[in-house]
Amino acid sequence: MSTAQRAKAKRPRTFDEARAMASSSSELGWWVFMRISGMLLVPLAFIHLWANNMAFNAGEIDFAYVVARLQQPGVRIFNSFLLLFAMLHGVNGLRYSIEDYVRRPERRFLWKMILFTVAGIIFIFGVMTLWAFTYEEMGSAVRALGSE
Amino acid sequence: MYRGREGQWAFVLHRISGVAVALFLLLHVIDISLVMFGPEGPFEAFLVFYHNWPFRVGLIAVIAAVVYHGLNGLRIIVMDFTSWGVRYQKPMWYGVLGLTAIIGVPVLWKIVPEILRGA
Ligand code: HEM
Repeated sequence: MSTAQRAKAKRPRTFDEARAMASSSSELGWWVFMRISGMLLVPLAFIHLWANNMAFNAGEIDFAYVVARLQQPGVRIFNSFLLLFAMLHGVNGLRYSIEDYVRRPERRFLWKMILFTVAGIIFIFGVMTLWAFTYEEMGSAVRALGSE
Repeated sequence: MYRGREGQWAFVLHRISGVAVALFLLLHVIDISLVMFGPEGPFEAFLVFYHNWPFRVGLIAVIAAVVYHGLNGLRIIVMDFTSWGVRYQKPMWYGVLGLTAIIGVPVLWKIVPEILRGA
């Protein structure tokens, strides 16, 4: 089969097919991005799940625990990458689903706008949580509460 | 669909797990962001709900979904970027399922007793 023939299949399977099928160069860019971010997210998500579910009892997560974690610059930097890649990868994946299942163009547009708006606001919340606070101060506030 | 039976199941599971994890992520960034409101804020109230056993069982499902979706994603990348990947897609899918199950053993071993003990 030639690349062009195979490109007629429903989903591209190689970079050449993806290039032959992509409706625009930005679609091709997203196809590549999903693969690169996917490879990065395997270690990022697995380590995150390990830290909070295996190295710790997730049923005991509380305010003090999260503040203690976010006090560590390493955790904040790690979480920033997790947040960025998981959000872009996840929202783009949801967009693919909308494009596959919502047929009517107006509805499709509406769903995508709702998705991008909600995800954008949540992403800003995530960045604020990671970088807009001095958790050292919050940590001492927690310790003060605990010793009351 | 496009690659016979296993391929189709692999795709359906990849879709469902991906959508589930993405929706969880949106909720999860909101819940963690509640710490912004300080120790007296809404975070602890939200956690009470998170620590209920049905939700903790749900978190196990999230872990399973992340593991399957991640490993199957690597399988897709192998199929896309190697000359031999598509030929071995079926055994690789069974490998993904097997690895997911193997990883599930220690996870369940640790978390199920925690839930049964009620914390
Ligand atoms: C199911 C079990 C999970 C638990 C118990 C959990 C727990 C936590 C906790 C305690 C934090 C606060 C800081 C830290 O400890 O890193 C956090 C932050 C975060 N988690 Fe999770 N997590 C889980 C799953 C996931 C998954 C599957 C993803 C992504 C696919 C994810 C993405 C994130 C992100 C992006 C942040 C940073 C949020 C922010 O910007 O404020 N988590 N998680």
